[in-house]
Amino acid sequence: MSVLVVTEHLQGTVRDVTRELVTAGRPLGPVAVAVIARDPGPLAAAVDVEGVEEIVTVAAGADEFEGDTYQQALEALIESRRPRVVLLGFTVNAMSYAAAVAAKLGLGYASDVHGVALEGEAVIATRSFYAGKVSAELEFPGAETVLLLLRPTTWPPAEGTGGAAVSSLAVEVAPPRARHVEFTEPAATGDVDITQADVLLSIGRGIGDADAIAQFEGLAAKMGATLSVSRPIVDAGWMPASRQVGQSGKTVKPKVYLAFGISGAVQHLAGMKASGTIVAVNTDPEASIFGVAHYGAVVDLFDVAEELEKLY
Amino acid sequence: MARDPKHDILFEPIKIGPKTMKNRFYQVPHCNGFGSEKPFSQAFFRAGKAEGGFGGVATEYCSISPESDDTHRMSARLWDDDDIKNLSLMCDMLHEYDCLAAAELWYGGPHAPCMESRCVARAPSQIPSDFEYLTYAIEADKDDIRYLQQLYVDAAKRARTAGFDIVYVYGSHSYLPQQFLTPFYNKRTDEYGGSFENRARFWRETIEKVKEAVGDDTAIAVRMSTDMFLGEPGTQLKRDCLPFVELVDHLVDVWDINLSGIAEWGEDATPSRFYEQGRALPWQAAVKEISKKPVLGVGRWTNPDAMSDAIHEGKLDIIATCRPSTSDPFLPKKIEEGRLDDIRECIGCNVCISRWEIGGPPLICTQNATAGEEYRRAWHPEKFTTAKNADNDVLVVGAGPAGMECAMVLGKRGMRRVHLVESADDMGGTMRWIPQLPGLGEWARLVNYRKIQLDKLKNVEFIPSTTLAPEDVAGYGAEIVVVATGSYWATDGLNGASHDVIPGADASLAWQATPDQLMGEGKTLAGDSVLVFDNDGYFMGVSISEKLALEGKKVTLMTPLGHVAPYMHFTLEAPNMHRRLHSLGVEIVPYHLPSRLEKGGVVATHVYDEHGAERTWDVDGVVLVSQRRSNERLFRSLKDDIGLEALKAEGVDALYRIGDCEAPRLIADAVFSGHRLAREIDSPDPSVPLPFRRERRVIDPDFVASERAWHESAMAGTA
Amino acid sequence: MRTVVCIKQVRTLGDEVEFTDDGRDVDPDYVDLALNEWDSFATEEALQLKERLGGEVVVVTCGPEESEAALRRCLAMGADRAVRIEGVAAHDPIGVAHALAEVVRDEEPDLVLCGVQSSDSVQAATGTALAELVELPRVAVVTRLEPGDGKATAHRELEGGLVDVVEVDLPAVLTIQTGINQPRYANLRAIKQAEQVEITVRQAASAPAASRVRRMFVPPRGEGAEMLGTDPGEVARRIADLVKERTA
Repeated sequence: MSVLVVTEHLQGTVRDVTRELVTAGRPLGPVAVAVIARDPGPLAAAVDVEGVEEIVTVAAGADEFEGDTYQQALEALIESRRPRVVLLGFTVNAMSYAAAVAAKLGLGYASDVHGVALEGEAVIATRSFYAGKVSAELEFPGAETVLLLLRPTTWPPAEGTGGAAVSSLAVEVAPPRARHVEFTEPAATGDVDITQADVLLSIGRGIGDADAIAQFEGLAAKMGATLSVSRPIVDAGWMPASRQVGQSGKTVKPKVYLAFGISGAVQHLAGMKASGTIVAVNTDPEASIFGVAHYGAVVDLFDVAEELEKLY
Repeated sequence: MARDPKHDILFEPIKIGPKTMKNRFYQVPHCNGFGSEKPFSQAFFRAGKAEGGFGGVATEYCSISPESDDTHRMSARLWDDDDIKNLSLMCDMLHEYDCLAAAELWYGGPHAPCMESRCVARAPSQIPSDFEYLTYAIEADKDDIRYLQQLYVDAAKRARTAGFDIVYVYGSHSYLPQQFLTPFYNKRTDEYGGSFENRARFWRETIEKVKEAVGDDTAIAVRMSTDMFLGEPGTQLKRDCLPFVELVDHLVDVWDINLSGIAEWGEDATPSRFYEQGRALPWQAAVKEISKKPVLGVGRWTNPDAMSDAIHEGKLDIIATCRPSTSDPFLPKKIEEGRLDDIRECIGCNVCISRWEIGGPPLICTQNATAGEEYRRAWHPEKFTTAKNADNDVLVVGAGPAGMECAMVLGKRGMRRVHLVESADDMGGTMRWIPQLPGLGEWARLVNYRKIQLDKLKNVEFIPSTTLAPEDVAGYGAEIVVVATGSYWATDGLNGASHDVIPGADASLAWQATPDQLMGEGKTLAGDSVLVFDNDGYFMGVSISEKLALEGKKVTLMTPLGHVAPYMHFTLEAPNMHRRLHSLGVEIVPYHLPSRLEKGGVVATHVYDEHGAERTWDVDGVVLVSQRRSNERLFRSLKDDIGLEALKAEGVDALYRIGDCEAPRLIADAVFSGHRLAREIDSPDPSVPLPFRRERRVIDPDFVASERAWHESAMAGTA
Repeated sequence: MRTVVCIKQVRTLGDEVEFTDDGRDVDPDYVDLALNEWDSFATEEALQLKERLGGEVVVVTCGPEESEAALRRCLAMGADRAVRIEGVAAHDPIGVAHALAEVVRDEEPDLVLCGVQSSDSVQAATGTALAELVELPRVAVVTRLEPGDGKATAHRELEGGLVDVVEVDLPAVLTIQTGINQPRYANLRAIKQAEQVEITVRQAASAPAASRVRRMFVPPRGEGAEMLGTDPGEVARRIADLVKERTA
């Protein structure tokens, strides 16, 4: 009943989600963590956390992620180690290859999983459907290996050191058909890093239109907070993507997260629900954000903003 | 959907004297323009609220004598037994829904000018009304006082016969009993004036007499204004009202507590521009603290949580509404069913009140186009018949108030497909920026409600960011086309005073602007000073002035009229608006019309100056609020350039226009326009409104004969 | 240039949730149906390519008869042909990919576009699995696409806004992210014309299921937030206090 975790890394840094996968995997069996990169050695230390029994490095491909390389590396890992469960984060990179591996090898598969358990021999995964309104337990009858993409920030990241044994697996990797050329920031404006802020004032669709942005920027400045946004604001072009909190934006854990006019789409919640104290202001009493908020108010956000301005 | 348990308290019954009200929703007395003389409009209007779940519904102020005649303003009347018949229809229809009926027995004293009856009123002291300055009353002696009290008793008996469950001895807003209580109106030195006991005597005795006459089976309500904001001589909470509550609490079955006198009763019927909901709560709570009887009160209540809180916190027993019950008669049902996003919230514009203030017209409502039309057009706010021509597709061009309303009602009437196309990136038209004017935030509810409703309609699709050229409209594929392209503010100073443009007026210049440009397009005027030329008559000129003054500009507000924004007198916004403009240093210049605009200056003449002497105002910028003009281009292209024949060839069977693009009008009327077209989309000629049912006496030969016979005998003294 | 766009008609639930007798799915009587938001961006992208480079756009979906409404929406936007595959189990993206693969192979496309994910399942897997089954290169989460000669440049949007610029060999399968373009509206004429188009219906050959719903249920609601009341002044004061406390 072994568990294989695949490391997610970017520009030389291992992402938090990898350590969350270790926490999730431990109850299922002995956890091995694979590191796939042109030079995986330096990354291995970062995944040697408590609960990791083994680290397997695969030296292949480029410094940065390429889907074909990871696919072939993972297929080789599965073939050689026959894990019961393979855990990846539900990330943009995983979306690029995980389902391909599952289709090719006939594995059990589910994404955006927020609960996983063993019932005897069977792997049971829990995920949501229909915009989070329902949950479902999934089973994978007949699958020797189950590949699951876990929702980031659901499990706490494992810490400490595991003192894991490190081995390597040689994999012949064909040249990728989709090749990384370079990274760019989309229209970067020398902007603030919202992941470093203690207090985030976050605004969503509820602010109505772009004219309100200046008002909230001003308020954030007065409060000593940083302005962040949900996806619709970025889609509309009113703020750069670097300000976006959410699954396709940044994951933040500020001490205080103030959500104004944000309904709480699952993708957004994934990016902020680990925040210390969450306060939600929304005129819709049914807004999902109230389910994760510690404090809430069903009031007009502009009225509250006006009142807040008077206090600072 | 189920009721939120937080709101359970609103649905608990409550005893009011010998009666029981089934829940805590009550429509407090308010005017609708129908009185006793339009009994069907009256009854259907009131019954609509009962159907919508209200536990109690009151008449408007109900005159107890021809000496209390407020013509030109419409009141109900219980002068004789025929009036009983007319008002009994309202009671019967309310009772069908297990709803209590209340009659607000009213005697106006000097505030009622008796212009129809030609009687003279009686009052505690002879000082002309602060509301109707030409009206003097008889200074009442003891016999007059007994006579007045008997009027209440007789009217209460008539009310009971008509079927009313609750009768008021109504004092609020400075009417007779409260005039006795208040030193401002009562300068008497006999036992009906002076000390508190004396000033309270008239009201107390009247309540006692009415209670004795009908109190066994009819509930007694007292409506009292707890602070008239008139300083020392006005009614005061602690000096006059709380002692009065203690004095007569044992006689009263329910207290109806509000604020203000008559001259500025916008302190009671608060416009959203100046006050939040629940403004009177502290006064209502003060009464509730010392009374052992149920207390009700208004506050422009729209938020069910706030309503529940008020009762849970022991501040009120019954939530009373007027305006919110008019914008949505089904407010209680929607709360009960947990359909909070279907509630059509009052925006506090007071256009409903403005109709009564003007005197004569029935009320209308910006949010609810069916208000006042329940009987005469048989419009139900929640029920829509399937259109006979539902098997058609409709294109509505323009998602302002008229377009949104039209698309919504067409959707509810089951049209096959409705496309609501808008060139901006969201719905609302000018109602996107009007609510951004100072104090008008609640007006955005007009757009929010319709957005939600349109989103729920599966047969309606909203398409933003799309500007349709006439050929696009012709080839759109819709059998019915409705143009709702709104209006714009004239850029050339065209105005109703001179019926001409103003030389030099050109809003394309950097130093001139229209409200659309300032608010909708983000144009800014450089410099420190600005002159706003206003011949609109309603709020745009003063709101723009307020906004610019708040931004730090020195504002001059010029109008050819004697008063700026005269319509705001009718919406009760004028006094506070003037206070605000005054405190912001806005200089109001009436009676002046610009003769030309030059860079850096406005040259104007006094409208009554026979020599046309000119004076120059040096200003950096000018805002033109001279008049609006319809955005006619699309409609004219379709009708004139392409032509109805060619449109038919492309499959467009019908072309209509609604709202401001037909003729600029009140927001309420734009909404009405869209609503009416959709309600009548399947009539033989939807472009012409169907006749509405008129409540009038149509004479026939028998009736003519009997009336002429009566007249002859009256002339002969033998009638 | 032939582009195949794989679309899904997604479900949204109202406030009432009812389940089927076997407890494995929601009762279809209580759902609203619509074209998946990501797929309208994918369709628009395909239509823009057709306008630039010529060719045709074929939309394909796996679903019951009511899902033809989603296909017709794409036809109204300007797609040329539509294929519906029936007999596919719901909720298993790999199974759906198998069914789509047959049709995609037969179409011999120059490009295959899918949405990144569906709003009702959020698996973000179908496109990637499909690419494997039809043995085509793939890029997921594309926010910009510039096709060239035998290759294309695709921008891949990573978490935090960083963009990975990728070069991919064509033909390829791309999953399209929202915001890549502005999907066009379809006027009533186009909608009416789309009603008349004949949609090809094919039966899916059976495929192994990569997962199966054992039980679907409404999750228990959490404790919920402590509500701060409805007075904006009071709410603002509490917020200011919290910020002060928590950042001390």
